Amino acid sequence: MDVSIVKEGAKTLVKLAGRVDTTNAEKFQTDIAPLMADAAPDIDIDCSNMEYTSSQGLRLFLMLQKSVSSKGGSMVLRNMKQQVKEVFEITGFSNIITII
Amino acid sequence: MKHKFEPVEGRNAEIIEAVLNSAEVDGLSEDCKFKIRLCVEEVEENILAYSGSTWIEVWTEREGSLLTIGFRDGGIQFDPLAAPDPDITAPLEKRSIGGLGIFVCKKMMDTVDYHFENKCNIFVMKLRVA
Repeated sequence: MDVSIVKEGAKTLVKLAGRVDTTNAEKFQTDIAPLMADAAPDIDIDCSNMEYTSSQGLRLFLMLQKSVSSKGGSMVLRNMKQQVKEVFEITGFSNIITII
Repeated sequence: MKHKFEPVEGRNAEIIEAVLNSAEVDGLSEDCKFKIRLCVEEVEENILAYSGSTWIEVWTEREGSLLTIGFRDGGIQFDPLAAPDPDITAPLEKRSIGGLGIFVCKKMMDTVDYHFENKCNIFVMKLRVA
């Protein structure tokens, strides 16, 4: 999984590419740590090149969403591939994370 | 395909590839392969976390359009299907990740089954692939 983070004014633009699974979840957690350090998060994540997530990835998205919400911030995941979106939907994560 | 992996730790990617490259799975749609990759990862991780077995035997079978993926391990008796499903309607602050992996398998596969036989955990999932 490749993570790129660009700050554009108050907004944080993130691009995800590849797979989040057991083998790289730890690296993914390190990569997204800066997003949890933001005091007033306004995060826009482009998932168009995200190929896959297992429950290991879901755990980290949940952690990130909790961090963002606890600070009254916002986060959206956009352009998610249908198969990946299905994982968020069947687990009810699409009810607690904004996917557009 | 039938293959025994010993030791188990750190073999997740190898186990997934063995299943995906098996004659029974090779050639299936990308959608099927996505589901298979995900569910194999979740089951293998579950076995690693709870059974403590040093080995896992994984097999694939095809009977017409019905694909079977099986796992056998020699660890402590652990039924992953015994735990209640996670509450997927709970609000954000009450969400946890526990049980989500096996829940995904239940939703994505047509059937999942667990039994304990000859001191081995046996987990079998079936998917209609056509």
